[in-house]
Amino acid sequence: MSVGVLVDVMLALALVGLSLRVVTGRALFRDMVLFILFGLVISLSWSRLGAPDLALAEAAIGAGLTGALMLMAYRRLVEGGAEDSPGRRRSFLALPVGVLSGALVAVIGFAALGVERVPGAAGTLVLEELPGTGLGNAVTGVLLVFRGLDTMLEMTVLLVALLGAWAVLGEARPGRLHQVDRDTPLVAALLTSVSPLTLLIAVHLLLAGTDSPGGAFQAGAVLTGCGVLLVLTGTLRPAVAAGLVTKLLVIAGLTAFVLIGAGALAFGRPTMALPGTWAVYLIETAMMLSIAVTMTLLFARSRGLYPERR
Amino acid sequence: MSSTIVYLLAASAVFGIGAYGLIVADHLMRKLLALNVMGSAVFVFILTVAGVTPEGPDPVAQALVLTGIVIAVAATAFALALMVRMHEETGLTSLTGDDDDD
Repeated sequence: MSVGVLVDVMLALALVGLSLRVVTGRALFRDMVLFILFGLVISLSWSRLGAPDLALAEAAIGAGLTGALMLMAYRRLVEGGAEDSPGRRRSFLALPVGVLSGALVAVIGFAALGVERVPGAAGTLVLEELPGTGLGNAVTGVLLVFRGLDTMLEMTVLLVALLGAWAVLGEARPGRLHQVDRDTPLVAALLTSVSPLTLLIAVHLLLAGTDSPGGAFQAGAVLTGCGVLLVLTGTLRPAVAAGLVTKLLVIAGLTAFVLIGAGALAFGRPTMALPGTWAVYLIETAMMLSIAVTMTLLFARSRGLYPERR
Repeated sequence: MSSTIVYLLAASAVFGIGAYGLIVADHLMRKLLALNVMGSAVFVFILTVAGVTPEGPDPVAQALVLTGIVIAVAATAFALALMVRMHEETGLTSLTGDDDDD
C-alpha cells in the first residue's frame, strides 16, 4: 500500500469518525467546532482527489463561512435564553433509524464498489474548447463560459437566501451583538494587519482564478472573512435599513451577469456568450463583492452595515 | 485498492450517518449539522463517480460541486435565520414541542 493510499485511508477514517461525533455527540457547541474540522478534512480530501478549486472553496466556504454562521446563530440562541451546550435526548427512533441507515450505507457502499471511472465526455470537451476562451482554469471556464446560466442562477439563490433571511428578521433589532473591546492593542493590531491581508488574498484569488485554482467564490468567501472580523470588532455596525450602496452591492453579481449575458443578444450572439476575458473579470469582480456583502449581512443578521465613526 | 474507492466508501458511510442524524437529532442546529454532513458526502460522491480527464476529475463535475457548496451555505444561512427567529418567537430549539430546558 503506497503512502498516498495510506493518507487517503486516514482521511476517510477521519471523515467517518468526525461525522459520527458531529451527528451523535453530547455537547452541541463542541460538535459544531468538530463540524468545522470535518469541513477541513473534506478540503484535504478534495486536494487528494485532484480538485484544488474545491479544496479552496471548501476551506473558505464549507468550513469557514458555514462554521462562522452556525457559531453566530448559536450565540444568538444562547443570548436569547436557550440552554448552553444542550445534551442529546434519546429518541425512540434511534434504533430503527440506525438499522435503516446502516442498510442505506451498505446499499450505497455496495453500489460504489461497482463504479468504474471512465473518461469524462463533457470534461474532455471542456479541455478541448478551453484555449478558445482565453482562460487557463477549466473550472472557471465551466462556471463562467460554458455553464454561465447555472452560475447566474446560483447568484440568484444567494440573493433569495438573503431576501428570505430579511423576511424572517422581524422588527430589526440591530446592535445587540456583544462587541469586543477595540481599545486593547491586540484587536487594533489584528484589524490593521489582517484586514488588508484578506483584501490582498481575495483579489489575488480572483485574478489567479482565471488560470489557476481560485475564483470569485473563493475570493468572496475570503472577503467575507474580513467583513466578519469588522462586524465582530464593531468597526462595521448593523444598520436598521439597507442603504443604496448595500442594495447595489448585493445585486451587483447578478446584474453584471444578466446585462452582459443578455447584451450578447444585441450583437447577434447566443445568450450568455461572453464577449471576452474582460467580461469574465468584470462578472467575477461583481460576484465577489455580492457574495462578500451578502454573506456578511447574513452573518450580522442585519439589513445594512455602516462604518463606526470614532 | 485505489484512493477513489476509499473516498466512495467513506462518502457512503458519512451519508448514512448524516441521514441518521437528520431524523434522530432533536436540536435544530444538530439537524442542520447532519444535513450539511450529508451534503458533503454527496459532493464527494459526485466527484468520485464523475469521469476523469488527463487534468484530474471532470471540470464540469467540479463546477457542479462548487455551485453546490455555495448553494449549501446559502440554504444553511437561511435555515439558521429561521431557527433564530423561531427561538425568538417560541423559545423552542427543536420541533418536538418540548420546552428547551428540560
